[in-house]
Amino acid sequence: MNDPRRKLVVDDLRIGHWSRRSGTFALACDGLTFDVAENAFVAIVGPSGCGKTTFLTALAGLIPVESGRLELNGEQISGPSRDRSLVFQQASLFPWRNVVANIEFGLKAQGRLDAEGRARVAELVELVGLSGKEDKYPRELSGGMSQRVNLARALATDPDLLLLDEPFSALDAQTRELMQEELTRVWQADSAGSGKTAVFVTHDVPEAVFLADRVIVLSSGPAHLVEVVEVNLPRPRGPEVKRSPEFQEISDYILSLVMSQNKPGRRTEDHDSNAALSR
Amino acid sequence: MTATQLSPGRVRKTPAGAAAPGRRRAFDRYLNPVLGAVGVAVVLASWQICASTGVVDPKFSSSPSGAFGALVDSFKSGDVWSPLGSTLSIVAWGMVISIVAAIPLGLLIGRNRVLYALTDPLISIMYSVPYVVFLPMLIFWFGIGADARVVIVVWSALFPLLINVIAGARNLEQSHLQVSRVFCASRLMTLRSVAFPATLPYILAGVRQAVGRALIGAIVAELFMGSAGLGYVVQLKTSNFQTDDAMAAIAVIAVIAVLLNHGVAYLEQRLTFWSRTD
Repeated sequence: MNDPRRKLVVDDLRIGHWSRRSGTFALACDGLTFDVAENAFVAIVGPSGCGKTTFLTALAGLIPVESGRLELNGEQISGPSRDRSLVFQQASLFPWRNVVANIEFGLKAQGRLDAEGRARVAELVELVGLSGKEDKYPRELSGGMSQRVNLARALATDPDLLLLDEPFSALDAQTRELMQEELTRVWQADSAGSGKTAVFVTHDVPEAVFLADRVIVLSSGPAHLVEVVEVNLPRPRGPEVKRSPEFQEISDYILSLVMSQNKPGRRTEDHDSNAALSR
Repeated sequence: MTATQLSPGRVRKTPAGAAAPGRRRAFDRYLNPVLGAVGVAVVLASWQICASTGVVDPKFSSSPSGAFGALVDSFKSGDVWSPLGSTLSIVAWGMVISIVAAIPLGLLIGRNRVLYALTDPLISIMYSVPYVVFLPMLIFWFGIGADARVVIVVWSALFPLLINVIAGARNLEQSHLQVSRVFCASRLMTLRSVAFPATLPYILAGVRQAVGRALIGAIVAELFMGSAGLGYVVQLKTSNFQTDDAMAAIAVIAVIAVLLNHGVAYLEQRLTFWSRTD
């Protein structure tokens, strides 16, 4: 049952939500099928509005599954759980908590903020490059710093599955590049088991290729699987990887897959997937 | 990022030119208090001149010097302490009861759609109708003792506070609630560690309004049904044509009002510094 190559199983998955505006049922995913192996870093790309974020929200347990299998370690996901944590698109930090207290939130919520928990938080502060900023409040942090806290908060509970919802999309180009490198570094270096299983949603194809072991390309909404592309670039990956011909080749291929999904007349807004989040 | 507050906390802006010489900055800093003091002095001086020259009759209008003399006398004789204590204690009791009741109640109502729909019209009515009209009824129900005065203070202070807490609890950020859900926080934890701090700016804005209304409630209660308190002193002395003593009591009330307001403003600065936008 616990086949490490099938840590996360998505089988004929259907997710949708009632749209408040039109009062109709909008499908976000229909017949979505793929697996994620243990310790793999998987990126999900697809055209805007295809339901990537909705899928991730369901994976986090925030919205219910209509039908199909969505199993982690052989158990159907039916709500939020301690074995998953989410790095939010917007940092969503609590402005009344300082950096350390924000990172501690998950541990505190789960009653695990003991000496060990505090030590882990201190270690994460160091790891994500927030040393010296422990006592700062969110309003004093830049966008990149906020996302570091967001990432550390998600890692603090030592989740079995780490979910990342376009965490760098709101950052400027330079900060984004930097954060991508930081994320690979953190992901490889985290002491609580290097290379956690991670699912990273993005619309930025080079970002997906740079970060992931496999890139899952989704169709335009309602999303189903188009192709799973293996990224056989060696790790650890530095910024120079982005200039290699292999990187270019894989990126171009995936980009062509995504672009071919942008048929005229399909939804192109991201509104619906965002509406699902704020429900 | 922060939602709009009913009455946002004071935003303190540092003067624009940070490189400006220290003398300039000191000048800016003391300019407003100095001008404020000048304004008060001008009004008091014209009052004094009118009273001294007989433009107005100091028997009716009192005078700054007479009121000041009465104030000093009341402190010397100790006559001021008993009414002052009486007024402060019913304001304090009224505020404690209002705060203890309004915060949990407001969080509960704000986070529960049915409760909100049920209570919203009631609370709006109670908040909008001038509470003074209930005074005869309250005297009828509770008599004219100290308990009845506390009831009036609560009656006047509770609703502005409650309305603010409810508004705050209803304006929680969805993203904060999602963080709470993703990390499996219990309902109690969410209420205490997310809803409560997020509502704190609203709570303190409500407390500021409530303190002002509590003081008014206390004074009105004392004017109408008192046998003690500063309001009663004002009423009694005015009836006896001792306007200097009445004015002295009013001055004490003014000082209390200003101190209470500043106290809450200070609390706002200390407790909700994170919501400031400067």
